[in-house]
Amino acid sequence: MKINQLYEREIITIILYTSLFFIIIAIGLIVFFYFSRKKIIQKELEKKDLEIKHQRQQLRAILITQEAERKRIAQDLHDDISSKLNIVSLNSHLLTRSGLSITDISEVTTNIIDMTNKALQSTRRIAHDLLPPVLDKFGLHAGIQELCSEFNNSRSVVVTYKNNIDFNEMGKDKCLHLFRIIQELINNSIRHGKASSISLLFDYIEGTKTCKYSDDGIGFDTNNSKNLNGLGLKNIQSRVDFLEGTLAIHSKVGGGVNVILHF
Amino acid sequence: MLYENNLFISHFYFIGQFILLSAFFKSLYKTKTQKTIANWILIIGVSVLAVQYVIDPNVFFRFNLFEIFITSFLIIIMAAIHLYNLLSEEKVFYYCTIGILLYLSGSTILFFVGNLTAILSEEYQFLPWTLNAVLVVIYHLFILFEWRQSFYLKKIRINNENKPTL
Repeated sequence: MKINQLYEREIITIILYTSLFFIIIAIGLIVFFYFSRKKIIQKELEKKDLEIKHQRQQLRAILITQEAERKRIAQDLHDDISSKLNIVSLNSHLLTRSGLSITDISEVTTNIIDMTNKALQSTRRIAHDLLPPVLDKFGLHAGIQELCSEFNNSRSVVVTYKNNIDFNEMGKDKCLHLFRIIQELINNSIRHGKASSISLLFDYIEGTKTCKYSDDGIGFDTNNSKNLNGLGLKNIQSRVDFLEGTLAIHSKVGGGVNVILHF
Repeated sequence: MLYENNLFISHFYFIGQFILLSAFFKSLYKTKTQKTIANWILIIGVSVLAVQYVIDPNVFFRFNLFEIFITSFLIIIMAAIHLYNLLSEEKVFYYCTIGILLYLSGSTILFFVGNLTAILSEEYQFLPWTLNAVLVVIYHLFILFEWRQSFYLKKIRINNENKPTL
């Protein structure tokens, strides 16, 4: 009987310990999940913070660009149009004077017509700079062709452009973003890179639309964050975000710039 | 002491619990894959038990250890999947799932020894059952807490939000 009791006690102890063991394992599991959850949520919060910071920076860049653009337009209007219209106004006042000879009148009139024409040309040029009408009427392909020929006509740079993509299926605002990216890249190549030849190629690579851009300018150090955080590149990055695309810039000092854009 | 054998009722408890809880977790899962997994767990669990009862009908009048093992084990897996889903989400039936996990891990062992307790002396016979009863109380406290967090307090919060501010 006593042996039996000892035996029973042993069994009960085993039962209790096994039960306890499994409860502890369950608690361990729950604690593990609890802390993992905390950690993951913390990481997510940090990510969101970074995102917000990034968005703020982009917003700042947009505001600065907007102001710069306004300044440029104001300057263009002031320098080109206002001054010419001033001359037109002065000449018109001349006409109201009495006692002018016919030759005087014809001279002043020619002057007025001439100046009005110039002012008209300036208006057209400013409007063209703001939004090339070709882009709106004939699409991105024609727009880029015109852009390239404009740069080629300036004789300081040779831009070669090849395209195997039909841009018509893309939305108009997307085309505009793409156009601005190309414009900014070419401007950067000429202004900062002192490039003499630029190549631009649009093609399908592994099913995604890809733009390959390269120049032979002086290039820059991509490891230097100062270069990558400039306003121009930030603007490009914002536009790439709008296109839901990816941007890769490869460059080194003295080695030109290679940009690959998937969109 | 010879009472009428009522152990066959336990099978309704185990299998009923298994079916209801697997349906519960299935309704909580969001992805299609997990819902399919829950379906398969239910189908496999029930059919394996059906096969066992066909082969050996005698287990119907005892604690069926295999039944206890397979139902608890599968529910614990589903609970763990649900806790995993909650890692980066808002808490949905979080405390309830914790209660299920705790209760099942503890009580499964106590049910395993169910057949054994019938032959133990009176001194120890009811110890596993007392322990199980404590676990059941804890289990239900978790469910109560879940109700408080997800239904009672939420309702108060919603009511407060709808109240016009003076």
